[in-house]
Amino acid sequence: MNLKKYLVRALHRLQKGPGYTYKELLVWYCDNTNTHGPKRIIKEGPKKKLIWFFLTLLFASLVFWQWGILINTYLSYNVTSSLSIGFKTMKFPAVTICNANPFKYSEVKPLLKELDRLIEAALERILQPGNASQDPSPPLDLQLWNQIPLVLIDEHDKDNPVILDIFETNQTAVGNGTARGSETSKKYKLAVKLCSHQGSDNCTYRNFSSAAQAVTEWYILQSTSILSRVPLHDRIRMGYQAEDMILACLYGAEPCNYKNFTQIYHPDHGNCYIFNWGMDEEALNSSNPGAEFGLKLILDISQQDYIPYLSSAAGARLMLHQQKSFPFLKDQGIYAMAGTETSIGVLVDELEQMGYPYSDCTMNGSDVPVRNLYSQYNTSYSIQACLRSCFQNHMVEICGCGHYMFPLPEGVNYCNNEDNPGWAYCYSSLRSSIKQRQICIDSCKETCNDTQYKMTISMADWPSEASEDWIFHILSYERDMSTNVTLDRNGIIKLNIYFQEYNYRTISESAATTIVWLLSSLGGQFGFWMGGSVLCLIEFGEIIIDSLWITVINVISWCKGLKQRRARARYPDAPPTVSELVEAHTNLGFQHEPSGAVPGAEALPPEPGTPPPNYDSLRVQPLDTLGPDSDAD
Amino acid sequence: RTLPVRGPQAPTLSELMRWYCLNTNTHGCRRIVVSRGRLRRLLWILLTLSAVGLILWQCAELLMNYYSASVSVTVQFQKLPFPAVTICNINPYKYSAMKEYLSELDKETKKALETFYGFSEGKSKVRRSVGDWNSTGSDFFQQIPLLKVEDFRTATELHSGQKRKIEGSVFHKDSSIVNSGDSNDIIGFQLCDANNSSECALYTFSSGVNAIQEWYKLHYMNIMAQIPLETKEKLSYSADDLLLTCFFDGLSCDKRHFTRFHHPLHGNCYTFNSGESGTILSTSTGGSEYGLQVVLYIDEADYNPFLVTSTGAKIIVHDQNEYPFIEDIGTEIETAAATSIGMHFTRSRKLSKPYSDCTETGADIPVENLYNKSYSLQICLHSCFQKAMVESCGCAQYAQPLPAGAEYCNYKKNPNWMYCYYRLHEKFVKEQLGCQQICKDACSFKEWALTTSIAQWPSTVSEDWMLRVLSWDKGQKLNKKLNKTDLASLMVFYKDLNERFISENPANTLVILLSNFGGQLGLWMSCSVVCVIEIVEVFFIDSLSIVLRRQWQRARKWWRGRQGKAPPAGPPGPQGHNNPVCIDEDLPTFTTALRLPLPQDSPLPRTPPPNYSTLRLEAAFTEQLPDTLELGQ
Repeated sequence: MNLKKYLVRALHRLQKGPGYTYKELLVWYCDNTNTHGPKRIIKEGPKKKLIWFFLTLLFASLVFWQWGILINTYLSYNVTSSLSIGFKTMKFPAVTICNANPFKYSEVKPLLKELDRLIEAALERILQPGNASQDPSPPLDLQLWNQIPLVLIDEHDKDNPVILDIFETNQTAVGNGTARGSETSKKYKLAVKLCSHQGSDNCTYRNFSSAAQAVTEWYILQSTSILSRVPLHDRIRMGYQAEDMILACLYGAEPCNYKNFTQIYHPDHGNCYIFNWGMDEEALNSSNPGAEFGLKLILDISQQDYIPYLSSAAGARLMLHQQKSFPFLKDQGIYAMAGTETSIGVLVDELEQMGYPYSDCTMNGSDVPVRNLYSQYNTSYSIQACLRSCFQNHMVEICGCGHYMFPLPEGVNYCNNEDNPGWAYCYSSLRSSIKQRQICIDSCKETCNDTQYKMTISMADWPSEASEDWIFHILSYERDMSTNVTLDRNGIIKLNIYFQEYNYRTISESAATTIVWLLSSLGGQFGFWMGGSVLCLIEFGEIIIDSLWITVINVISWCKGLKQRRARARYPDAPPTVSELVEAHTNLGFQHEPSGAVPGAEALPPEPGTPPPNYDSLRVQPLDTLGPDSDAD
Repeated sequence: RTLPVRGPQAPTLSELMRWYCLNTNTHGCRRIVVSRGRLRRLLWILLTLSAVGLILWQCAELLMNYYSASVSVTVQFQKLPFPAVTICNINPYKYSAMKEYLSELDKETKKALETFYGFSEGKSKVRRSVGDWNSTGSDFFQQIPLLKVEDFRTATELHSGQKRKIEGSVFHKDSSIVNSGDSNDIIGFQLCDANNSSECALYTFSSGVNAIQEWYKLHYMNIMAQIPLETKEKLSYSADDLLLTCFFDGLSCDKRHFTRFHHPLHGNCYTFNSGESGTILSTSTGGSEYGLQVVLYIDEADYNPFLVTSTGAKIIVHDQNEYPFIEDIGTEIETAAATSIGMHFTRSRKLSKPYSDCTETGADIPVENLYNKSYSLQICLHSCFQKAMVESCGCAQYAQPLPAGAEYCNYKKNPNWMYCYYRLHEKFVKEQLGCQQICKDACSFKEWALTTSIAQWPSTVSEDWMLRVLSWDKGQKLNKKLNKTDLASLMVFYKDLNERFISENPANTLVILLSNFGGQLGLWMSCSVVCVIEIVEVFFIDSLSIVLRRQWQRARKWWRGRQGKAPPAGPPGPQGHNNPVCIDEDLPTFTTALRLPLPQDSPLPRTPPPNYSTLRLEAAFTEQLPDTLELGQ
């Protein structure tokens, strides 16, 4: 019972809305709302009323249209970029130094001896077909040759090129060789024959326009296969050692030596040494621009010990990269030439992107669906690492073995000719497959913080002719503890790496549209067209609730009326018109009766004439809310 | 129905103002009317006015900043189109082939060298040519001879050894500072207006090297202008001459991938991936292996000794639609070295008018594009200069394309062109031709940032086989091995496949501008467009109507007065706003209404009968309001 009573009271209270009919409610709303248009509708004359009604409607629809645009803009997550340039104390970049040649030829000679003899003999036959009759004293390892043979393609007849194997069809080659003159020699092309299985017919010929290119590619394929069988520690031993390569080191004013470099085995370049990698110790800071405060190195690449057919360019390969990232020298590395001093001024070009949903980048690579094989080096994610891992994963899947140039997934071996005879064919087709590349491109994402080291490279001859003697002498003495000069111009490199006067250029993104921006823009639009605010929206909501209540009440009264229809008479008068209602509300005597109404009425001055009407009675029901007394309970 | 307060039917302007202030939606205005006391009212007037001022100021600021742009940088990792790479030999034409055209000029140059500097290549050679001088001395070379300037008034002529007076002005090509102290060393040449020989200009150079090169070039261009294009193409290098090997994206390529392009100063250049075949190659992997690798053959022995003094090749990386301005922005490639060029791709887009003064297609520039390529600033400047050249000199300059109907300058047809050209060029440099004003930036451009580094190539150990194989490739006679200084290796590759896209976006849209307006209006005065319409309504329409009504009444009065019938036409009874009871005070509450002073001279009875008919509430609740019913009637 109590509950019912309470509900009834609540109902009553809610009934004390601004009116008992929709019209009253609307008029009250128009008169009292804070939005600008509606008030005009009821305050003006009939013609203007109409104008104002349409204006208000127009503005309301404008507001909603513009709100739609604004919200759309917000949801497109635009960014703005800000650029800052200057000098600040920054972490000196990690510097990776490699020799362009991966192994000392003196160390790997036993492994590559057969291969070298093969290629020499082949070149002999290609270049001087007439004189190639005498056989080499030890017989050539033709089995090695036949795994991936080089063939000569005779293109005299464009439509049916004749394929000549250099060693097998010895006679034909020689016979043709004598016939051809120098003017037709261009018609011959070298190609690498790749078969899915040895002896099978499923073969492709990789054509090369140049024999030099063909020989290099062939040699790389063969030596890769040989070296992949050598265990890692042996390969490290065969490479260049830090103490042989790094002769002098100076960072700022502090001396450093080869022990400050972290060794890493890089499949392309053998032993590489990284300065300031930041793996074990804190990264070094540099707080001054200029060569005096940078890293100065003297390297020896000992060009005499290069593998002749593997790398034709001589020099040091170096790369600047972020701490704890893997150096991808083939992509970002630069060369330093022997016999020169190379100065590299560094500008750190950073791009800081906002992550999802502003741009499609990854913070640490954890959301990329590719297993990062470079994580075994404890290095951070990068797009190059992702692409290479992706390739290696495909390689393992399709060819059954891993490529020598990339890290191995667990439980897989590197490809070699004996265990995987078709690997070169498989690798070659995989590498040229556009589909495979696209899969990798689609699955890898760039990192959100992209740091590039912009380098200004300049070179000078070093050492000068005048200083050459004593410099070589001292450096040789320090390295080999002998008075014999073991160094020469062909091997020595000086490097200066330093920050430029402006050492950073940072482009950082910030959201162009924030929620604050959205709110202020929404408010601006609403205010601009209608002078409204959030409170106006709440007012509007209130009116809707009120009208709902009116509906409820009407329904109830209609139900009641249904019961008592016959018992009760209808009102004799017609219901009031809108204008009457408006007048009623705009009649100054009766609207806006604030809380002082009753006391005010009581404190009326004694007036002659007709006493004021008993306004209380007027208020009884329809204008209930105006009565403070009724609100009070 | 006697108190219809509808609209500003106020009889006077001040009434209207009062009505407006009380009923307007803007804040402030109401305060002015409602405030009591002069000081307070003044304060409110000032505050309101300053708020209006602030709004106007801020909105003006907003409008002025409307056309500003914000920059956004996006990095996208994707398959990138490979740019066009144009490769030229620094020497434009084979010297051996050019002998017949240049022998005269070379003889003249050698003679000058010997006369002024005592230089001779070899006694026998010189003696032989000395004999030729007098017999074949061409008048043309004598007209613009090299001169040795003694004291700016007299100069020694090369041929006759005579001294002659210098007329006209003296120009120093190398520096603006006149080195008058040691004038004996100054060498130069004099250009005269052929029609008016007193108009002469003497060009002097601080160094004879520059003087002779400039002088040689002048005559060289003169000679080359007379040779037809087909002949010139034959005189220059063929693709087979220049390119020894080619390798792109792991696959072999050949001369079919290159497009010939004849550059007036660099002879035959070859563009890789020019897009002329309809397809543009793209790379899906970064790194040196996957880019373009070529070995170039630079025949150093066949170089023109006076025209070019450096050896090597020039390359330029550009978009397929761009014209390669080799002479302006080419990168030089050293011989006997491997040049590795890492690229980083940046695309920029500016907003065109009204944000910045750039052009999208160049169609709005009044300079005809003489190059068959898309618009760029460089193209515009060159075309503009060429146009001016044709207009004022009557012939076209050799280094730039021919406009329709013009032909290249040569001394036979246009004896005056050199003088004219130098004069024009000087004007162009001093921005007097107006080209720099007419030509605008292109709105969007692509840029490949290059990181160039050099390694020794071929390495000492690989030199032997490399040169042998390359000689075989070249199809030369086996006894002649290539020299490594005739070769240059070049690698062009993407460092990463991250495309940076720098774009300008409008910082403001109309929606945002309106929002900002709304924010300003709302902040200072809680105003909206409705208020503006109100102001228009009240201050223009209503005020005007009041003024007109007044005038009309006056006119009518005057008319009636003239008729002699002066009607009483008393002032209109207090109605609307005049009725003190109905004055909208600050929140016209019931109480305040009651406190109003009673109208003294009202003809109405003391209590204004409230229009109780408006209390239509009776209709709904008749039985409760009997008294109001009575009163209403």
